[in-house]
Amino acid sequence: MVGLRRLAEDSREISRRSFFAILGWLAFLAASLAACVEAVRFGYPNATYEEPSLFKAGLASDYGVGSTTVLIDKRVVINRDPDGIYAFNLICTHLGCTPRYFTDVTSDLVAKGIGGLRDPLTGQSASPANPAVQGFKCPCHGSRYFRDSVNFYGPAPRPMDHIQVQKGRDGHLLLDRHSFVDLTTRLKI
Amino acid sequence: MKMIGAAIDEIYSVLAQMVSSLFRHGLPLTDKIAARTALTNFVLHIHPVRVRRSWIRMSYTLCLGGLSFFLFIVLTVTGLYLMFYYVPATSHAYQDMRDLQFVVTFGGVIRNMHRWAAHAMVITVWLHMARVFLTGAYKKPREFNWAIGTFLLLITLLLSFSGYLLPWDQLSIWAVTVGTNMAKYAPIAGPYTRYLMLGGRAVGDATLLRFYVAHVVGLPLIGFLLMVVHFWRVRKDGFSGGL
Repeated sequence: MVGLRRLAEDSREISRRSFFAILGWLAFLAASLAACVEAVRFGYPNATYEEPSLFKAGLASDYGVGSTTVLIDKRVVINRDPDGIYAFNLICTHLGCTPRYFTDVTSDLVAKGIGGLRDPLTGQSASPANPAVQGFKCPCHGSRYFRDSVNFYGPAPRPMDHIQVQKGRDGHLLLDRHSFVDLTTRLKI
Repeated sequence: MKMIGAAIDEIYSVLAQMVSSLFRHGLPLTDKIAARTALTNFVLHIHPVRVRRSWIRMSYTLCLGGLSFFLFIVLTVTGLYLMFYYVPATSHAYQDMRDLQFVVTFGGVIRNMHRWAAHAMVITVWLHMARVFLTGAYKKPREFNWAIGTFLLLITLLLSFSGYLLPWDQLSIWAVTVGTNMAKYAPIAGPYTRYLMLGGRAVGDATLLRFYVAHVVGLPLIGFLLMVVHFWRVRKDGFSGGL
């Protein structure tokens, strides 16, 4: 550091000794920085050996119009509406837990006087006479979703992530959990 | 007879040398010897040479710092015991934890000591911080030690969080899913931080190993070093207690 101060005072008068001292310190600094970068980068695995994001999910004809199928091992839901087939990750958009399917996610809300709850696939409205609508409830912080992935209650900030559905060459549905599509995308059958 | 007498003398002198090398200043009969003993003995050197009764009034410190340290020692020892039976792999972890509770003799005692000491340490560290704050003991010249203390609190909480995953039950897995997703909400660095914590995209084998290594080596080591500095500063800055 003496070398640096001397350098600042008069750059013309720099001895060989302090020049090499500065060089040495710079090399030390560079090596230290490299070690820090290395330490952090080392923590990022290049291969994770997790389950592949692509998987097959049977034939399109396995899924009836208006049906909701939960593939719990894959944490994926496959729906079919008149427009076609779509799928989404069964991962809560709040903090990542797995919402669970229930035949009734609305009765208690209807009893509290909350209106406008409607099954998106059948169009059936929850009414005091018929308050049950199917959907998903998250066990962690109570977010609720309709069958089509749209959140309607609790802390979830947005619908669950829709994922790509393609038809493979063998006719089977091919889903990719890591490639996201928007809510209106359908695989036309 | 003469030979036996010489042998006894020899043994006595060896023993005397052993004792005098262990206790260099003899019995602390005077204040001066007591002071010198405290200064030169490794075990005692952490103690001040002179302590006023008012400095260590129980009603002032409530022993909270000491209790936290005591719990840290309990956790280190019981944690070491647990490591003999616990394998940090998703295929083993839960079964090993159950074995510790129901199969290993005294396993339940050790596991519960670890568990309750962990809960207690979080509480005592918080209360210690509250006590230091309320008595104004963080003020100059002790502000540096307050800063060290905040890092020690952070280490305590991270130890608690990392230990939470190790039983590998549903509560552990989803709690860490939630915890790491919170980290993900941080701007820019969030997703990278989560990937680094998990060692992947979801809580799995890599995560368990990472949390285990952090829990049994990384964090305790950092905590230990910070504690060394923390206690040293307490000695150097002097007690804040009643004058």
